[in-house]
Amino acid sequence: MRGYTGKLLRINLSNRGSQIEDIPEQLMKDFLGGRGLAVKYLYSELKAGVDALGPDNKLLFMMGPLGATTAMSVSRIAVVTKSPITGCVAKSVAGGNFGAFLKFAGFDGVILEGKAEKPTYIHIDGNGVHILDADEIWGLDTEETQIKLRQMHGTSTKAICIGPAGEKLVRYAVVISDRRCGGRTGVGTVMGAKKLKAIAVNSSGPLGVYDPQQFKSLSREQIEGLRTSPRRMQMTDFGTSYLTLGFEKMGIFPVKNFQEGHLEGVEKISDEAFAKIKVGNNGCYGCMTKCGQVRRVTEGPYAGAVSEGPDYETIWSLGGNLANTDLGFLIAADSLCDRLGIDTISAGNAIGFACELFERGIITKKDTDGLDLTWGNHGDMLKLVEKIGRREGFGELLGEGTKRAAEHIGKGTEVYAMHVKGLEIPAYEPRAVKGYGLMFATSNIGANHMYGRPREELAGKVDRFADEGKGKDIARNQIAQAVEDSVVQCSFTPATGLTPESRAKLLVAATGFNEFSDPAYLDLIGERILCLERSFNVREGFSRKDDTLPARMLTEPLKNAGPATGQVVKLDTLLDEYYDALGYSPQGIPTEEKLRQIGLEWVIEDIKKFAK
Amino acid sequence: MSVRVKLPSILQELSCGVETCEVTGQTVGECIKSLEMRFPDIKNHLFDRQGRLLRIFGIYLKSDGIQPVDLDATVRDNDEIVILSFITGG
Repeated sequence: MRGYTGKLLRINLSNRGSQIEDIPEQLMKDFLGGRGLAVKYLYSELKAGVDALGPDNKLLFMMGPLGATTAMSVSRIAVVTKSPITGCVAKSVAGGNFGAFLKFAGFDGVILEGKAEKPTYIHIDGNGVHILDADEIWGLDTEETQIKLRQMHGTSTKAICIGPAGEKLVRYAVVISDRRCGGRTGVGTVMGAKKLKAIAVNSSGPLGVYDPQQFKSLSREQIEGLRTSPRRMQMTDFGTSYLTLGFEKMGIFPVKNFQEGHLEGVEKISDEAFAKIKVGNNGCYGCMTKCGQVRRVTEGPYAGAVSEGPDYETIWSLGGNLANTDLGFLIAADSLCDRLGIDTISAGNAIGFACELFERGIITKKDTDGLDLTWGNHGDMLKLVEKIGRREGFGELLGEGTKRAAEHIGKGTEVYAMHVKGLEIPAYEPRAVKGYGLMFATSNIGANHMYGRPREELAGKVDRFADEGKGKDIARNQIAQAVEDSVVQCSFTPATGLTPESRAKLLVAATGFNEFSDPAYLDLIGERILCLERSFNVREGFSRKDDTLPARMLTEPLKNAGPATGQVVKLDTLLDEYYDALGYSPQGIPTEEKLRQIGLEWVIEDIKKFAK
Repeated sequence: MSVRVKLPSILQELSCGVETCEVTGQTVGECIKSLEMRFPDIKNHLFDRQGRLLRIFGIYLKSDGIQPVDLDATVRDNDEIVILSFITGG
C-alpha cells in the first residue's frame, strides 16, 4: 500500500451486488484522489440529463492519498454526485472518522449505483461487504443512527449516515459522520433517494506508505509546527466563531436575507459569548486542532441543549441572517439541524426568505402553519427547522430550497431567493467582498464558500470593493481548493500548517509518485478538475447566463453595512477576466485548446454537442 | 522616536487609503491609540466593546525579525508595527 489502497468498492443497490475494482495508477496521477478522482468517475459514468434523484445518478465517497496516515488534518472524505438542488455537479467534504476507517478496510472510495427496493444500509468488516435491511435505523436521527449501529456492530463502528431529512428528500439534506457534515449541495438527498441510510465500517489500521522514514519525519515536523502555532491554538479555542464580530463591523455579515449589514446585539453571539458556555472540544480523525466547539446551554428556554457548534456559517445562517441574537437558540437549532440531517446554510436561507416574505405581507400565518416569522422570533423558527427536516406543513415547501419555493409561490418572490444556480448563498456579503461575488457566481456547484476563497481580499492585500482585477486570483483560488479537496485536507490552514511545498513532500513520501513533488503539477491537476466540473455543467446546459448573482446584489446598494454601505457587484468585467484566466470562451465554455492543454481532449466531443 | 504602523487594506478603508502611518508611543498599545487619534473609525473595527482586539487581526512587531506581540509590548525607534488580517472563513 502506498498512501492509496488502490481499491474502489462499487455497490449496486438495485440488485444488492458489490464488486471491488482496481483504481488505475494513471488516474491517481491525473486526478490525485478525493474530489478529483470522484468527479472523473462521475463524469465518465453519468449521461447528460440524468435525474439526480433517480437510480441512474451515482453517489461517490472518496478519500485522498494522505488519508488515514499519521499526517495531521488530511483524513476528510469527498462526497460527489449530481446535485438535486442545482442540477449541476455536486461536491461536499466531510470530516469525522468514517473516511479513515473506510481506508483501513481497504478502500479509497465507494461508488453507489441504482436504488434499493427498501431502506438499506451497508456494513463493511473483515468478513466482507454486507448489504442489509435498515428497518432498525430508518427514521432515526443521525445521532441515534450512529449509536444504534454501534450497538449492533460494536463500539468501534464508524459510520456515515443520513437523518430523517435525507429519507424524506429535503433537497439540502446532508451526510454526517460523527457530528461532521458533508453539508452542501444535497448529497444526503441523493443517498436518501437511493434508500441508503448508512455505511458502517469496522476496521483497523495502520496503512503503509512508500517511504515510512521520510513520512514519519515530515509528519513530526508538521505536528511540531502545529503544537506552537498561535493560529492553530485560536482555532482550537474558538473554532470559526471569531469571524462574527469583525465581519459584522466590515459589512461582510449579511443580515435579514441580505437586506443589510448591521446586526443589533451582535456581541451576544460573539466568540467570547460562546466561549462562556463551552464544555469541550471535538475533532476529526487525525487532527490535533479539534476545532469542534462543544457547548451546553445552562439557562433560558433552551437550557440543556448541547451541540458541537455552531461555527461561523451557522452563527450567520440561523443568527444574523434571521436577526437572532439568542445564543441558546443557536445551539439548539444547530443541534437540531445536525440530528435531522439538513444543511444549516440552506435551511437558514430558506427561513430568511420566508421571513422577508412575511415582513412584506406576501405570506401570512395562514401560509406558515400559524408560525410568526417576524425577524428574531427564534421560538417559531426552531419549530420551522423541525418542519423542514421532516417535510411537514410549510416545511415541505421550504425543504425544496429557495429557488423552487419562490417558483411555487410566484408573485415575484424570485427576487428574494438568495441562491446561485439553486444553491443558497453562505455567510459572506458579495457586495462587501467582490471576490466572493465572483467566486459564488462562477462556482460549478452553486454558491459555496468552500470553492475557492478570495484569499487576497481577506488577507487585506487587495481592495475588496474593486469590480475588476480579480479574475485571475479567483481562478487560482478555485484551482487551489480543487487540489485541497482532492488531497482531502482540512481547508482551515491553521489546522494543517501545510504549505504547497510541505504538502508536495508528504504526497511523494506517501505515494512514491515523483510527479507530486512539483506544486505546479498539482495545480495542473486542480485546473483539470475545475474544467471537468465546468464541462459536466456545460453538458447539463449551463453557461455564462447561469454565472450570476441574485438581482439584490447586482442592483440594490448595500444598506447599513459600515464601510461596505452603498456597494453593488458589477459582474461583467470580473466574469470576462475569470474566463480568460481559465481559457474559457466569453460564454464560459472550456475551449478545445484548453481541454487539450490540460489532458481533457476526451471531453471535446461532449462540449461540441452540448454547449449552448 | 519614530515608529510606524502598517495597515491591511481592509483597515485602509478607514484611514483614507493610508497604508503606513507614523505614530507615537512607548508601547504597542500607545502607538495604536496614537493611530486611533488620527483615524477614529479604526478603533471600532479593531476592538470589541470590551476593548479586546478582534481575533480576525494579529499585531506583529517588525524589530529584529517579525514577532506577534501584545498591546503592552514596548517599542523602539524605527520599529514597525504590522497589523495583519487572519480570515479563513468556514
